[in-house]
Amino acid sequence: MRSAELHNEIKELNLAYLMLAQQLIREDRDTAMFRLGISDEIADLLENLTPGQVLKMSGADMLLCRFRFDDRLLLGLLSSHDRESGMARLHAMILAADKPVEAIA
Amino acid sequence: MYTAMRNKSVVTEGREIQRAAELIELGARLQILEAETSLSRERLLKLYKEVKGESPPKGMLPFSTDWFLTWQPNIQASLFMSFHRFMVENAGMHGLDAIIKAYRMYVEHVQYNGMEQVLSLTRAWTLVRFFDANMLKVARCERCGGQFVADVFDLTRGYVCGLCHVPARAGKTRRRLEQFNAEQGTKVTV
Repeated sequence: MRSAELHNEIKELNLAYLMLAQQLIREDRDTAMFRLGISDEIADLLENLTPGQVLKMSGADMLLCRFRFDDRLLLGLLSSHDRESGMARLHAMILAADKPVEAIA
Repeated sequence: MYTAMRNKSVVTEGREIQRAAELIELGARLQILEAETSLSRERLLKLYKEVKGESPPKGMLPFSTDWFLTWQPNIQASLFMSFHRFMVENAGMHGLDAIIKAYRMYVEHVQYNGMEQVLSLTRAWTLVRFFDANMLKVARCERCGGQFVADVFDLTRGYVCGLCHVPARAGKTRRRLEQFNAEQGTKVTV
């Protein structure tokens, strides 16, 4: 991928992420915190970003969402192709719910 | 009764009716409505019929903790409790709000994944009451580290959850077998 293209891809993903996050938080804040894995403070922060700020952040040239689970078992469950994938997802959900949320230092 | 009605604000009553209607839609039994609102039984009955178009089921609430310890209910109850814990610890919710939110997430997860939903709102509500009354607790699975519903008197050192170690006959209820036999034309029995 050429570098200009790469920058664009990152920007678009950031934009999509921030806009989705804002939408989720506005629709149902508590469920959004769970889905996004973020704390109350970060939810506030994201919700209050103006469109201008969202655009500006998106162009930061680095991804704004980070790899969420550093847990081999959980990743294994999420990526498994078992016949019982429903059970694997349920198991993953139980484990993921216990993970600490992203918070602001 | 008369004084209670007189002292109650109309706004409060309006909120309670709304809350009760939400609970009824989610499948709550009359006992839950009586415990969670201060509306009279007559009003609740009327409301129930209006929302559901039928009379509420009679009889007692399920009162045994054992149900939550059998395989399928245990897994799903543990999922519900995970959501509930998240709502209490991270979203600062409590009481009925946390139960309703966790229950909605539970139903959504089960439906999205095409699984059989075994927990009713009434069961979920009872489950939280059992936790509050110290009749049930969560045990941490030794293998996956997840937290699962367990009897408060269970010895949970070295506990392994029903998902890490799926019992041979897990989920193969009589109903499932009948369904299976009907589809396959076989005559497997329990």
